[in-house]
Amino acid sequence: MSAETTGITSRPSQARRKKKKKNQLPVAFALLLAVVGVAIWLTFVGDNLALFWITGIAFGIILQRSRFCFTACLRDPYLTGSTSVTKAVLIAFAVTSIGFTAIKYGFAAQGLPIPGQSYVAPISAATAIGAFMFGIGMVIAGGCASGTLMRVGEGFWMQALALFFFVVGSLLGAHNYGWWERNFIVSAPRIFLPDVFGWLGGLLCNLAIIAVVYWIAHKWGKRKTQEL
Amino acid sequence: MAKEVTLDCMGEACPVPLIKTEKALEKLEKGDVLVVQIDHSCAMKNVPEWARKQGHNVEIEEVDDGEWELFIEKV
Repeated sequence: MSAETTGITSRPSQARRKKKKKNQLPVAFALLLAVVGVAIWLTFVGDNLALFWITGIAFGIILQRSRFCFTACLRDPYLTGSTSVTKAVLIAFAVTSIGFTAIKYGFAAQGLPIPGQSYVAPISAATAIGAFMFGIGMVIAGGCASGTLMRVGEGFWMQALALFFFVVGSLLGAHNYGWWERNFIVSAPRIFLPDVFGWLGGLLCNLAIIAVVYWIAHKWGKRKTQEL
Repeated sequence: MAKEVTLDCMGEACPVPLIKTEKALEKLEKGDVLVVQIDHSCAMKNVPEWARKQGHNVEIEEVDDGEWELFIEKV
């Protein structure tokens, strides 16, 4: 068997000639100071900007350290039978559902306009077809939007290519969105669960669906491990 | 006599290192060691997880910042 077909090469193991790693602490400390500095500056520039800055950075750190990956959550059950990431994402969805319901209910209870209602998007075939295409794309690119951003930040340059076309695609999509909306999307129904089932019913409906998917993921993961 | 084979997955994104590891391990004998060189942080999670589930012995070593070697002993 040649090296070409096996993918096995004779690149020598690096562990034998281990080189001394550079101490990254000074850089980390400088970066931390810069983050705090920018946060203080942002409080003078505009409301909430500092909050967005800090939550954005926190999100990035959590994403990177936890290897949280929306692509892996959907891909690994097929590929390896591992559903640990899938379950983590489902738990995140459940927490998010509770949080969003609380925020929205808080506004509705005071008679204020509910924030974020423009994100209650119409459900049409476009949603399903688009999701399917996105799924193919993210598995090939090795990451969804957040995952690609995080890995480029980590210094994984191959995914800078994915990031570039992610930007191109987003711009094209934004440019042509009006046409798609007029012709395919706008006629589809918008469903906001609390309108249908009430606030508690909507939340429970969401959590029930997540629980069922979690249970399936758990069973799937167990079965796949036992098969091996 | 157990042998050691090196698999170069530098610059490969998920799930390529995992599939390459799977294929390379198939060709090895019991007791052989596969050294997988990776620089993709996600492969650092899913390759060892998969290999351990298969029952292989796995050791991870960070050889440089953001570069790892996985030692997988086939069982």
